[in-house]
Amino acid sequence: MEPAVEIENLTKVFPAHFGGRPVRAVDRVSIRIEPGEVYGLIGPNGSGKSTTMKALLGLVAPTSGTCRIFGADSLAVDSREQVGFLPENPYFYKHLSGAETLRFYGKLCGLRGKSLEARVDELLELVDLVEARDRRLGGYSKGMLQRIGLAQALVQEPRLVILDEPTAGVDPIGSRQIRDLVLALRERGITVFLCSHLLEQVQEVCDRVGIIFRGRMIREGRLEEMLSIEDQTELVLRDARPELVEEIRRLIEAADGAELVRAGRPRTTLERLFLRETVDRNE
Amino acid sequence: MTARHRPLNPRRITVLAYHTFTQLVRMKVFYFLGAFAVILIAANFLRLPTHAAPEAVGVQLLYSIKSSCAGAMTLFSIVMAIVATGLLLPKDVEDRTLYTILAKPVPRLDYLLGKFFGVAALIFVSLLVMDLLMTGALQLRMGGVLEQQRAAGEAFGHPPEMIEAQLAETRALGPTWALQGAVFVIFLQSVVIISVALLLSTFSTSTLFTAIVGFLVVFIGFFQADAREAYFHGTGVLGKIGSAIMTTALPDLQLYKLIDAVIEGRPLEAFDLLKVTGVTLFYFVVYTFVSWLVIARKEF
Ligand SMILES: Nc1ncnc2c1ncn2[C@@H]1O[C@H](COP(=O)(O)OP(=O)(O)O)[C@@H](O)[C@H]1O
Ligand SMILES: [Mg+2]
Repeated sequence: MEPAVEIENLTKVFPAHFGGRPVRAVDRVSIRIEPGEVYGLIGPNGSGKSTTMKALLGLVAPTSGTCRIFGADSLAVDSREQVGFLPENPYFYKHLSGAETLRFYGKLCGLRGKSLEARVDELLELVDLVEARDRRLGGYSKGMLQRIGLAQALVQEPRLVILDEPTAGVDPIGSRQIRDLVLALRERGITVFLCSHLLEQVQEVCDRVGIIFRGRMIREGRLEEMLSIEDQTELVLRDARPELVEEIRRLIEAADGAELVRAGRPRTTLERLFLRETVDRNE
Repeated sequence: MTARHRPLNPRRITVLAYHTFTQLVRMKVFYFLGAFAVILIAANFLRLPTHAAPEAVGVQLLYSIKSSCAGAMTLFSIVMAIVATGLLLPKDVEDRTLYTILAKPVPRLDYLLGKFFGVAALIFVSLLVMDLLMTGALQLRMGGVLEQQRAAGEAFGHPPEMIEAQLAETRALGPTWALQGAVFVIFLQSVVIISVALLLSTFSTSTLFTAIVGFLVVFIGFFQADAREAYFHGTGVLGKIGSAIMTTALPDLQLYKLIDAVIEGRPLEAFDLLKVTGVTLFYFVVYTFVSWLVIARKEF
């Protein structure tokens, strides 16, 4: 099968501005994403994540190298048929309501009539904006904008979705909604290419990640392989009596070659605590 | 994969144009401008009739209605064409809405044409409303003038043929087809100006720049025929080429002055109308083509 994304040796140099030096935003980056994968590109601000995505969408022309979406060159308009894009910090037309926004983007993709209306309803349902459907986007919160943006990206049922910092500036509840949506996309076999500097979120949804720094791909691989510490084993117990823990400790000491690195109570993250105390309380 | 998304897809352009139209209508700044123009025109309904020498006053009155209305329409259409067009592209770039549009299968030419037709449609509709008002005002005021002239003619004991002839002359100054043609020429002029403003906004990133340069181009446009005449007169082939380059690079708006002639009561020749339409199309095609060349290479 054709890869969903095929970036080969992409280099992008922005010409110098006002006596400054040219910026090498992306330097010989290659990424290949198979259909159905969720791929996360991580790296600090200014490391070339957005530029890579824009090149993949034909919004910037590569200085050298090629980008392809399902085999179609990114510089051709046809390549955009199978892709949905949510840009970084997006602002949509403030004068349109949620439903109008989706209708507009749907029509641009050639949808119309009953199927368009059905799609709009379905998407508003999916991103939980049914109540806000007739409100103008000027009055939407950041999280709502991000969700309408995600719905917009999905309007023509693309096989690939590209999300640039989908959770930046969104509160934990909103970002969990977005994370759940990404997981739902994966369930449906849609390829997702997202980037973020929020590592925890990438960790929660991605199958494979690439680490990009100063325009260069530093490391790439399957998440569990990259994160597992080869020579360690974790054991998490519930309702363990102190005597049991003591016993395990003794067994380890008696065993040859093994060493207890750490024992204690695992901590929840502040984010999980926050969610448990707010949203999950009402559910 | 075949090239399914060729540029110039009418349906897609209509979607973009309709969206641009809605966007401008919902932008309340332009209400003031529209309201101002409408009040200026509607004022002609209210002006009190004078009781001076009927022949001269009647003619003067109809002329002043026409010229004030045409003035309001011209001003409105020029300001709208420059400011509205100049707002659109920089706003899309700044708000990054452009990314979301170009990330859909939308050729950049269609995007440009959508903006163009959206602004053009808005100006067309506004001119139509103003035209209706003007025609109504003229019709009403002409009725009064005709009555006065008939009464005066009869009082002087003029023969009926003479009175009829005078009335016919007055009617020619009222709402005629030539006047409708002149309003259409105002629209054509704004088509040229929208094309210029669109071109400017493809390489500027600020509305202010587009507006200032746009007004400058329009200003030069009204005088450039004279300048060309003075500069290239009798300079032979080279002069002709230079002159042609100048008319193409900067639109010659003197052609559109035939609006004034029509207001003065002269008929509008079909040939002139055709010529102006042709010239307008020429400018539209050239400027849109250059805009496309600029935006096709542009990175956002
Ligand atoms: N249009 C542009 N012109 C010049 N430099 C740019 C442009 N876009 C991005 N850059 C530069 O390229 C580098 C990478 O930017 P970007 O891809 O936005 O990073 P990230 O998305 O990882 O934060 C930055 O140094 C940025 O300043
Ligand atoms: Mg970025």
